[in-house]
Amino acid sequence: MNKNRSKEYDVIIIGGGATGAGTARDCAMRGLSVLLVERHDFATGATGRNHGLLHSGARYAVTDHESAAECIEENMILRKIANHCIEENDGLFLTLPEDDIAFQSQFVDACSSAGISTEIIDPKLALQMEPSANPDLIGAVRVPDGSVDPFRLTMSNALDARLHGTDILTQHEVTDILKEQDRVIGVELFDHGKKEKVNYYGKIVCNAAGIWGHHIANFAGVNINMFPAKGSLLIFGHRVNKMVLNRCRKPANADILVPGDTICLIGTTSERIPIEEIDNMYVSKDDVDVLIREGVKLSPSLATTRILRAYAGVRPLVAADDDPSGRSISRGIVLMDHKERDGLEGFVTITGGKLMTYRLMAEEATDLICKKLSVDKKCETASIPLPGSEKSEETLSNAGNKIYTGASITQKSAKDRHGSLAHKIANGDSNEDSMVCECEGVSIGEVKYAINELHVNNLIDLRRRTRVGMGTCQGELCACRAAGLLCESMEEAGKAKDDLANFLQERWKGMSPIAWGETINEIQFTSWIYEGIYGLKPENN
Amino acid sequence: MKFDNIIIGGGLSGLTCGIKLAEQGKKCAIVSSGQSAIHFFSGSFDLLGKVNGEEVTNPLESMKFLPQQHPYQRVGLENIERLTDEALHLLIRAGLSFTGKADRNHYTLTPMGVMKPTWLTLNDFTSFDQKDSFPWKKAVILNFSGFLDFHTLFIKDGLKKFDINAQIKNVSMKQFEAIRKNPSEMRSTNIAKEFDKGNAIEEFAQKANLLSEGFDVVILPAVFGLFNKSVADQLKEKINKPVLLLPAIPPSVPGIRSQITLRERFQELGGTYLLGDNVEEGIFEDGRLLEIRTNNHGDIKFEADQFILASGSFYSKGIVATHDKLYEPIFGLDIDGDNNREEWFDEKFFNDQAFMRYGVKTDENFRALMNGEPVQNLFVAGSVLGGANPLKEGSGAGISLLTSLHAAEQILK
Ligand SMILES: Cc1cc2nc3c(=O)[nH]c(=O)nc-3n(C[C@H](O)[C@H](O)[C@H](O)COP(=O)(O)OP(=O)(O)OC[C@H]3O[C@@H](n4cnc5c(N)ncnc54)[C@H](O)[C@@H]3O)c2cc1C
Ligand SMILES: Cc1cc2nc3c(=O)[nH]c(=O)nc-3n(C[C@H](O)[C@H](O)[C@H](O)COP(=O)(O)OP(=O)(O)OC[C@H]3O[C@@H](n4cnc5c(N)ncnc54)[C@H](O)[C@@H]3O)c2cc1C
Repeated sequence: MNKNRSKEYDVIIIGGGATGAGTARDCAMRGLSVLLVERHDFATGATGRNHGLLHSGARYAVTDHESAAECIEENMILRKIANHCIEENDGLFLTLPEDDIAFQSQFVDACSSAGISTEIIDPKLALQMEPSANPDLIGAVRVPDGSVDPFRLTMSNALDARLHGTDILTQHEVTDILKEQDRVIGVELFDHGKKEKVNYYGKIVCNAAGIWGHHIANFAGVNINMFPAKGSLLIFGHRVNKMVLNRCRKPANADILVPGDTICLIGTTSERIPIEEIDNMYVSKDDVDVLIREGVKLSPSLATTRILRAYAGVRPLVAADDDPSGRSISRGIVLMDHKERDGLEGFVTITGGKLMTYRLMAEEATDLICKKLSVDKKCETASIPLPGSEKSEETLSNAGNKIYTGASITQKSAKDRHGSLAHKIANGDSNEDSMVCECEGVSIGEVKYAINELHVNNLIDLRRRTRVGMGTCQGELCACRAAGLLCESMEEAGKAKDDLANFLQERWKGMSPIAWGETINEIQFTSWIYEGIYGLKPENN
Repeated sequence: MKFDNIIIGGGLSGLTCGIKLAEQGKKCAIVSSGQSAIHFFSGSFDLLGKVNGEEVTNPLESMKFLPQQHPYQRVGLENIERLTDEALHLLIRAGLSFTGKADRNHYTLTPMGVMKPTWLTLNDFTSFDQKDSFPWKKAVILNFSGFLDFHTLFIKDGLKKFDINAQIKNVSMKQFEAIRKNPSEMRSTNIAKEFDKGNAIEEFAQKANLLSEGFDVVILPAVFGLFNKSVADQLKEKINKPVLLLPAIPPSVPGIRSQITLRERFQELGGTYLLGDNVEEGIFEDGRLLEIRTNNHGDIKFEADQFILASGSFYSKGIVATHDKLYEPIFGLDIDGDNNREEWFDEKFFNDQAFMRYGVKTDENFRALMNGEPVQNLFVAGSVLGGANPLKEGSGAGISLLTSLHAAEQILK
């Protein structure tokens, strides 16, 4: 085991979700030396497994005033600092004949007291604004909801953290917390690439591992009462709705339809699961059936829209310390100084909250870390834009213009994905412009940029960065092309073959719960190509 | 319009059945809505590569281990050898040339560098007798600059198993500059079209000869000869080393050429081939199919004495799945499969998937069942039949060829 203590970081942050990446950025901007560690890849936890709803807070207005107020404040901030990750679509809260219209005025009042602007829209007008909405609606309220791309948001935070000096280790799993008496001094990591253990040392260790924070806390010998709540979602193959659609009633199953890029998402179910199951994210047949049944009520055309994938995530909910039964679960931000709570110095946990409030969570965690390190520097993340988000001549959020044709397709799609960083992608050279993924417009240049600059270790990472294999062909041929490129950069063909097999397995996980219609046809085709013609097997090496 | 026989589906089984019937003087029509599996063809027709997870050396011998509901068992094992012979000769008469024997599998090399057992290999490609040796020592893999669809590194890696350290070299061709400019044009079929024109081949062969000096074999992507059938042969003549072609990302150039060759043979025999038309429904009377209606021909009815359903599996829409059922979309024939979608799949992508075995139910003479009763004059052939997982078994083309010849024999009786 590596016992090199020569470098001690100010802070080691565990977890490459929005919270961890955001905290790394904030800490680094305040001048701390930071190490960010993630066991898989960025946004593989709850961050990459949610709606991507840029909440206005309206959804919580009636039931949770505090969350609603936090949401609208962060909503306005994200529009400024992360505009390349956001689509300003606005949202409609629909009242359907089966819902109580009286809820509407309660809802509008609650919104305004939380600072969320609302506008009651005549049902006829609402249908003009959003033709995909259920034509039977009897009421509609417009709110400043939007969509956020969580992958891009997390990557931008990680990139900026790196620009401010953060060291980043993906594929590194925390397997223990190192302690000296009552003080945490570092982490033991398992490097999944090299298959070996290494230790890293820091003055503070910050647990931002979402639901897995439960295990991290246990490594440190403290206990956090996590209550994992699984939610399933479906992705549809094209964008049915322009605006976010919600039901105007108390939050329930499958009542949010969020558009994003060229697709839309319906979610979510909510189910308590045992902590042992948090790594087993299957979507059941019943989940799928509920999501479709409820989704069709929001937008009837979903009944005939192709479903691309099903997936599930786990919300990192925390029970109050005095309530181990979990009856009064908080949905708000949970920040723990384990010195105060458990007498353990050098250890901080930031969890709970929402994707929406990741920045605020990062700010609160960083404030605490700075206080502990006696660093006196103000948080600036609410005003300094993320890389890629700096003002550019075009607005990137205009989804209506997203159908591109002609040779510039790759540059435009790349711009949508990487914002003003798109200039880093080589182009204008027929080699770099060659298309890897036709339905998502991904070029060789973009793939190479992702491999060289964005911590891509395998095809699944690449999909998260570039959308290779996210479109309607679901990675049939583009995955193979991309594998070829990845293989060139890694110079390890055997690994690339296994990687391709893993990629197909990962896609299958998302497709098998919804594999009927075109999807089953394509799956059969894909199997013939990869297994039949290419002779790919799960264990090539 | 009245025919002796109408075939629904212009894939490998529809075409073979049509050729066989037309060769026997029947007035036939094939209606085909679109692309078929042969467009993606590896270059080899499989008969039987695996039974119960064990690799097969003699397919004719090993068929007795197949379950009773398997199409080969239903054709009758006593008929198989004759039908394999007949299939080969029918393909040769059509103008395709192959190597391979039904009683002994040979091997082909896949682009992942795996040796796969198979029955008939198109002469473009190389067939190997042994799975664990490679007949050459020094190999060079040539690719066209900018062509993403040929996986040189995977091939190189695969060859390491045979202790071959292959070299990869790129060839730049000015003839491809135009297609390289458009980001999505550098694909197999477009390269093949350039070679079809005839002017690139000489130059390419010269470059290949230079680059392959000191090597024993030249490995190239199979992108030669789309419409022009002699290109692959010309190439092999001009390159002064053995040439080993390997599949690129589909569509498959030799596959499309094979499909065209079979279609032309059918048309030369007087057959009517309606491409891009979809059969929508049929009219039945007293347990017989009287006529079918197609999308392009509206009210015009297509009548025949016998019909053959060769509409393929899911990927060709011969069978359709919705969230709560499976069905045969043209006639609503009985399906051999489970309506509960939880039964269709295994959670592991590379495991045996139950849905691969689903297909149209038939009686012992391969007549389609409808509400449990056979339709007297509607035969079923090819991958629309259930009862086998041709991917796991390596029996795709074999089932299509043999069941379609068998159906033709029933009709000719
Ligand atoms: C179904 C669903 C829908 C949701 N919808 C919304 C929504 O629309 N809007 C919204 O704002 N919020 C939504 N949320 C909540 C939101 O997704 C989460 O609150 C947020 O993403 C949590 O981010 P995080 O970074 O704290 O945790 P995570 O994203 O889970 O990150 C934790 C990271 O830690 C890593 N990790 C775990 N163990 C280790 C280890 N031992 N070593 C190293 N790394 C480790 C994990 O791999 C993971 O990447 C939803 C959640 C769910 C489940
Ligand atoms: C991608 C792929 C690659 C394969 N490669 C090989 C290989 O290399 N070697 C091998 O041995 N096997 C291979 N197979 C297995 C293959 O299924 C069989 O070899 C065989 O080609 C199947 O032929 P078929 O005629 O039964 O079906 P298909 O080839 O599927 O043909 C069915 C035809 O029916 C048409 N059709 C369907 N419905 C209608 C309608 N309503 N009206 C009109 N027309 C209709 C379709 O358009 C299609 O043209 C492959 C399969 C796939 C999917």
